[in-house]
Amino acid sequence: MAETPMVNLTIEGLAVQVAAGTTILEAAKTAGVLIPHYCYHPSLPVAGVCRMCLVEVEKAPKLLPSCATTVAEGQVVHVYSEQALEARKGVLELLLINHPLDCPICDQSGECELQDYTFAEGRQDSRYREPKRFDPVEDFGGDVMYVGNRCILCTRCVRFMEDVHKDPVIEVQDRGDRARIGKAPDNDLTQAWAANVVDLCPVGALLSKDFLNKARAWELDRTASVCNGCSQGCNIVVETRDNVIMRYKPRANDDVNKHFMCDEGRLNYAWLNRPDRITWPQAAGAVTGWEGALASAATALKGKKAYVVVNPSLSNETLYALKQLIAKSGGAGYFSVVQGPEAPLPGVADLAVRADRAANATGAELLGFTRSASPLAKLTASDVLVLVDVQLSDADKAAAAKAAAVVVIGTALPQEIAGAAAVLPMTNYVEEDGTFTNLRGRVQRYLQAKATTGAARPAWYILSDLLSALGEKSEYFTASAAFDALAKAEPAFAGLSYDTLGLRGATIQGAQVTA
Amino acid sequence: MSGHTDAPYEPVFVGKRRAELDELLTRYPTKQAALLPALWIVQEERGWLPEAGMTEVAAVLGLTAAYVKGVVTFYTMYKQHPTGTHFIQVCTTSPCLCAGADKVVDAFLEHTGCKELGLTSPDGKYTVIEVECLGACGFATPVQINLDYVENVTPEKVPTILAGLK
Repeated sequence: MAETPMVNLTIEGLAVQVAAGTTILEAAKTAGVLIPHYCYHPSLPVAGVCRMCLVEVEKAPKLLPSCATTVAEGQVVHVYSEQALEARKGVLELLLINHPLDCPICDQSGECELQDYTFAEGRQDSRYREPKRFDPVEDFGGDVMYVGNRCILCTRCVRFMEDVHKDPVIEVQDRGDRARIGKAPDNDLTQAWAANVVDLCPVGALLSKDFLNKARAWELDRTASVCNGCSQGCNIVVETRDNVIMRYKPRANDDVNKHFMCDEGRLNYAWLNRPDRITWPQAAGAVTGWEGALASAATALKGKKAYVVVNPSLSNETLYALKQLIAKSGGAGYFSVVQGPEAPLPGVADLAVRADRAANATGAELLGFTRSASPLAKLTASDVLVLVDVQLSDADKAAAAKAAAVVVIGTALPQEIAGAAAVLPMTNYVEEDGTFTNLRGRVQRYLQAKATTGAARPAWYILSDLLSALGEKSEYFTASAAFDALAKAEPAFAGLSYDTLGLRGATIQGAQVTA
Repeated sequence: MSGHTDAPYEPVFVGKRRAELDELLTRYPTKQAALLPALWIVQEERGWLPEAGMTEVAAVLGLTAAYVKGVVTFYTMYKQHPTGTHFIQVCTTSPCLCAGADKVVDAFLEHTGCKELGLTSPDGKYTVIEVECLGACGFATPVQINLDYVENVTPEKVPTILAGLK
């Protein structure tokens, strides 16, 4: 492949070298200069309609929209020249003519680009004295609500539905000062990825109905994580307030999910806030401390085969510790994966809601667990059943009764398992650090977003203690040490560590990179 | 938008109208390009463009209803509401206004019984609107009634003009 020629230019006095064909706006980002913009978005086609990214380029006869102008050799760009600032101030004044300025009751407040740029570059007040236009709030269906008064008609949502989702169900309607975004009746935004228009909207015009009036943007704590809804492994931000998850937002990763996440994943967080958790370790139905419960589990397991049934959304670290338990006892590990319809996002290669509605089936398979529709089928009366974060079906419950003993490691108690030798409370995935392996073999980290309830511990930590109680030397005290042990023992994970994974992940040895 | 949920919608593009559309489609490189004339066919047939009509056009041209609605709402000559049998458009652009077009508008409203601009008279016969330049400034004030022009209209002539309408 021929090397892309590089272009040298100056932006705000800084020397910048970028590949030919780059836009001035993107080139400025590499120099750490964020040119204000609304309609431009890196994952959407360029429209050039908002005029907010106007910059002065020496020798050009007029100001140029930096989102739609490619760099040229020797170009000298002034982002903050008097002329450019004056032009953008004018753009902002016009955008605000019909804007209701209702920031105090607007969900977008605090993460609103109209607010930010008006603070940075706008006028102090408006010269507009006429009545403002009024558009009623409209329910767009799905999770999306449209507040027309706040809309600045950047058309990001229209371009997303048209060019990325390939289902143009919203359009600019009417024209001139009456223009607004509209949909046709009975044509709701219920597509699998439609709620991304809420993230794309730079102002408070498109809002999530789920998040409506729930929290202010500045009250939220944000933690990098990975969605565990399916095997795609979209990078996300978990946003919490006072230890309660308020919403998920997609986190940009060009190798996995661009800037997007599906609606199903986005709205699948409420179960992580459940209060009906196992909070304290139990042995034979009585609440004990950790030591008593672990001793009870170790006694039950001693000399018996561990028949392990896992949730395929457990971390690699936990699955590796379980693999050690299985290897030590000569047992076996099984999992079943909930299936759902596959729903691709047509405009992005290799991005879909995957049929496997679990985050780490790939990791489970790599670590020797067997996929099975009836994971308890091979259980015998001499086995000790170890259930890790699974809920049993009625048929499974009947099968489970066969086991010599049952050890439950879980977040919520499976019903009718009151006779378990030990019940060990574990954290759910937003309460611990860990990694998932997605369907393309990409290992991605997720970080702890909230504190757990009661005495729950990460499952790999519980298993490390249990293995020690069984006489195995398996001691790791941090998730990264657990991962290091895994990377050392498993050839597929060789060379990986939390440092090399970073927050965007890395693929395992021999992984198939794309479909 | 429109609260006109009258009788169930009968498709327009059947028989002769379908043949007309098929002929139209041969003249354009893509189906989408025939959107404007296809909308005209529905408007001719129904007198206006109900939402079900936009949905039908979207279906026959392989577009989404939202896209068709975007186009319909952009152009002012597509009617989004039913109008009276006689659709009266009075030019009120500057030269006509100087020649007293506002008085002509008032006269039409008074003699047709229309309560205000854009509303249909109670007998369902008339709708009066103001329009921008009809291109007949030399004959101010021109009025377009359905497809016909009436020129040099003054308030005094309005009753006679209305009486002459069938």
